Amino acid sequence: MPPPAAFERRVLRNAAGHHYLRVRLELPDGGARPSAAQLKQLVVAALRELHGEVGAALPVDVLTYEEKTLSAILRVVSSGFVKLWSALTLLGFYQNRRCAFRVLQVDISISSCVIWEQ
Amino acid sequence: MCTAPAALLAPAGGGPALHGSDLIAPLPPAAWRRVTRAAGRSPIGGPGGGARGGRRRMSAPLRRVQQAPRHLLVCEKGHARHPRSRHAAHVRDHAYNCRVSILIPECGILPEVLKSTIADIGEYYLVKNLSVHELVAPEFIDSFVKKGSCYALTYNTKIDQDNTAAVIPTGKLILSVDKDTYEELGLQGRPSQYSGKKAMRYIITIDLTDSNFHPDGKKHKRVLWALKEKKPLEFDFLMAWYNTGAEGSTLMSYFPKNQIRALKPKITFSTLRDLQCPALQSNELEGKPEESCSTEELFEWLGAVLNQVNLDNKSSSFLSTYCCPQPNTTVDQAFLCTITGFIIPDKIIQLLEQLCSYFTEPKLAHWLTLTVHGFADSPVSWRENEHGFHKGGENLYNFVVFRNLDYWLQMAVGTNDDCPP
Repeated sequence: MPPPAAFERRVLRNAAGHHYLRVRLELPDGGARPSAAQLKQLVVAALRELHGEVGAALPVDVLTYEEKTLSAILRVVSSGFVKLWSALTLLGFYQNRRCAFRVLQVDISISSCVIWEQ
Repeated sequence: MCTAPAALLAPAGGGPALHGSDLIAPLPPAAWRRVTRAAGRSPIGGPGGGARGGRRRMSAPLRRVQQAPRHLLVCEKGHARHPRSRHAAHVRDHAYNCRVSILIPECGILPEVLKSTIADIGEYYLVKNLSVHELVAPEFIDSFVKKGSCYALTYNTKIDQDNTAAVIPTGKLILSVDKDTYEELGLQGRPSQYSGKKAMRYIITIDLTDSNFHPDGKKHKRVLWALKEKKPLEFDFLMAWYNTGAEGSTLMSYFPKNQIRALKPKITFSTLRDLQCPALQSNELEGKPEESCSTEELFEWLGAVLNQVNLDNKSSSFLSTYCCPQPNTTVDQAFLCTITGFIIPDKIIQLLEQLCSYFTEPKLAHWLTLTVHGFADSPVSWRENEHGFHKGGENLYNFVVFRNLDYWLQMAVGTNDDCPP
């Protein structure tokens, strides 16, 4: 058995490499729902519209996607967090249909993306 | 993420290295840069000046676009059977917990050691339309606050918008109120640490177990008058009471039947198949390249597992490039137990002790994890540290318990939070 570990404490300030957003896409017209790839394409298009090609090249991952509720967990590099959130906020159209992204939860760790309802 | 050459981070002029102490491990370059930028006042010629002198200064708007919300991750490493180990103290100090998740690799069913603790997880109560002045009533204080540990938290109130109240087990009533309510109440409090120049939020702390706080005293009369007549406050409360002594009256019998409802935490079990788990070494918090993963990588991986994220992605994949950190092993099965409700720290300490005793018999697993989430809208995080909701309200902690009973503890808080103790 290796010897017991000595006590050590590290405080990491603003060191998270990635931020996580739990988002929901609202499509009030009730038409066909986008697939996961189409959602990713929509996110990239939103970034391109607001932040140009450099913004569109931001590494964004769609970690989970539920087509029924149109909710997803996105992962983005911490330095691109503000760009992604602003791009999602100002997105208004998906295939000429009115839409809106609702950002439900934002966290540094994906484990905090839990919703508890009574 | 770009990394600065080591020379830029070395102190100019041979000054003392900031990360020479044994207890504080050197931070990775990116975090180090952010610390000096946040400090903003490092002397020229010190490490900050050296780092800044080597790069073009970014304009303020561009810097703001690249800044993510402030957050803290505290990582501790120790041994659970060490006499001065603080693992139980950390759990006890975090009063309000809404979700507990246990992940045990190489395990398919609920282990025997956990069966009794999970069956006896206890219940909590939802009390509707309870006036806050009833919590300062002498009968309530004598029956519940002074005996055992009483936990109360307002339900369905948002910490950044509404008034919130909580009773912590040390016997203090904490009211987090907006400016108008504070002025109408007329009780002494202090402005919130996170309310900026114009205080819009105030925190009032009333020690219910104080010897001066008896029914005939001026303090008690003032508090009762403020909460009953001046500005009555009424909330729905989540309550729990833990007492190891003889059974006295319970919360159920204290409140009228139509007001109180007993609830049991929701418990779910699942078995995950073919799960990729990172390889860890209990002595290496930072991880060793090619040998073990760091504590931050484990924390991120664990969150992915708890949210059923696909870990098997290629780097060229369009949707997601997230994959399990290297080095990792694939286990045939892993047991995941999730308990959701108003869970008190005493029960979590029992769970932690049972998880430590899981390794008294030889097991295939090298480590297991216990993750506890706090309420996003609670007024306190650890002890009486003020908790707020800026862009997120996370206050959670995670234990990794190894075979030899070494443990890692990660505590994460958001922007409007103090550093956990």
